[in-house]
Amino acid sequence: MGKLKIVGCQALSLAALVVGWEAAVRLGLVDPLFVPAPTAVVRALAATAGEALPRLLDTLVKTVIGYGLAVGLGVTAGLVIGSMRTVHQVCIPYVVALYGVPKILILPWIALIFGIGLTTAVLSATLFAVFPIVLLVAGGVRDLDPALLTVATSMGASPWQVYRKVLLPAVLPSALAGMRIGMVFALLGTLLAEMFAGIRGMGFLMQKQAMAFNAAELFAATALVSVLSIAVVVSLEHLNQRLGKWR
Amino acid sequence: MKVLALRAAVLLGLLGVWEVVAAPLNPILYVAPSAIPGALLRVFRVGELPPLPEHVWLTLREIAAAYALAVSAGLWLGFVLGLQKTLGRIYEPILAALYAIPSVVWYPSLMLFFGLGPASKIAFGLLLGFFPVALSVLAGIRQVDRHLITVAVSMGAGPGAIFLKVALPAMSATLVGGLRAGLALSVVGVLVGEILGSRAGIGYLINYAYGLFMTAEYAGLVVLVGAAVLALDGAAGLLEARVRRWAS
Repeated sequence: MGKLKIVGCQALSLAALVVGWEAAVRLGLVDPLFVPAPTAVVRALAATAGEALPRLLDTLVKTVIGYGLAVGLGVTAGLVIGSMRTVHQVCIPYVVALYGVPKILILPWIALIFGIGLTTAVLSATLFAVFPIVLLVAGGVRDLDPALLTVATSMGASPWQVYRKVLLPAVLPSALAGMRIGMVFALLGTLLAEMFAGIRGMGFLMQKQAMAFNAAELFAATALVSVLSIAVVVSLEHLNQRLGKWR
Repeated sequence: MKVLALRAAVLLGLLGVWEVVAAPLNPILYVAPSAIPGALLRVFRVGELPPLPEHVWLTLREIAAAYALAVSAGLWLGFVLGLQKTLGRIYEPILAALYAIPSVVWYPSLMLFFGLGPASKIAFGLLLGFFPVALSVLAGIRQVDRHLITVAVSMGAGPGAIFLKVALPAMSATLVGGLRAGLALSVVGVLVGEILGSRAGIGYLINYAYGLFMTAEYAGLVVLVGAAVLALDGAAGLLEARVRRWAS
């Protein structure tokens, strides 16, 4: 089956889903109070776009700041932990444990200290995103063939050249994988913080619409965030491929 | 041995630093480690907080229900999409795209459908746990060597025997990894649901202590729940290692 045909089937399935959903609401099979018709969602999307778009931007800004912090911290910590054997052995169980503990548990404490504003959301994003990055970068450094380093040094490469020509390209794939996962986690952390303790952003908006039983507006907001996150992931994927070519 | 000693030293050092730093600070915001055992005692004593055992029991039942549903749905969809090649090629990308959306965007809708009770937590735990299970089945099926199946068929093996003797061992390592990740995510889903809005369960208790500024009790509960989650995942990890040994 050709690629075009697959995309066609996908589009057809989604269209059938939307039409069936609309019909189910029109025929009274589902309660529009809980499941609004797609047309109602589109109307809500148009009506609330003025309110939702600035909030979406707000969420995006927090995510990007938190993500930036997580990448900076995570790549640095990953390089340090990965390049020293003893540090790796001692620290990795703790990093794995911190990665495994549900971060939502610590969120109330962050909100207690930093209130309901920007800082809490940014720190939450960082907290969610940083551990997978550390683990993947440290793993990438560990997997690096030591012979490569020995050869490069014995051929007279300076530390900077070793770093630039050997270490960086070798670690890049796992770092990029970590950064891609980290982005989704950062968005998750921001949204969760906004839902838990926020007065702005999409997370807060969605929680508010749910509490107020505005199903159509809630679906519209959910769709906006979903589209945003898929767009972010796809563009990171794209960047990944281009960097892969550079390598 | 030396590594273990260093690990313990790092942990003790961090706790010591924390203790010293937190001592002069506001205890409502910064809880010293030494305050946690006493706070945990208060949590266990009846009267100061809602009774712990029944909330823990509710959360455990929610997790069990969510995980059972996630595994059933994940295995079912994974095998349907994995064995029907055409369906797989059409719907697997959609599944992967959905997985790329931060799961928490679905929670407000689930809360709207199912209310603040256990149903919305179970639904969210199901949703989170479902993806790794389904995706691991799909990945596992791809790992099964076609030639082995051809050989088994030509030697007269029935579908049941092929599944048990050829397919299952080949995909078990991936599958068990997915089942373990699904369990971890089902636990996270239930906890997130309870903390974002509930009237019962361990997450409710955590929120209750936090809302009343009983920060030491909150920290004690977090340590307790965190340790329980890690222990559960550790047990799942041991099981995973056993299955991997059996398969290889």
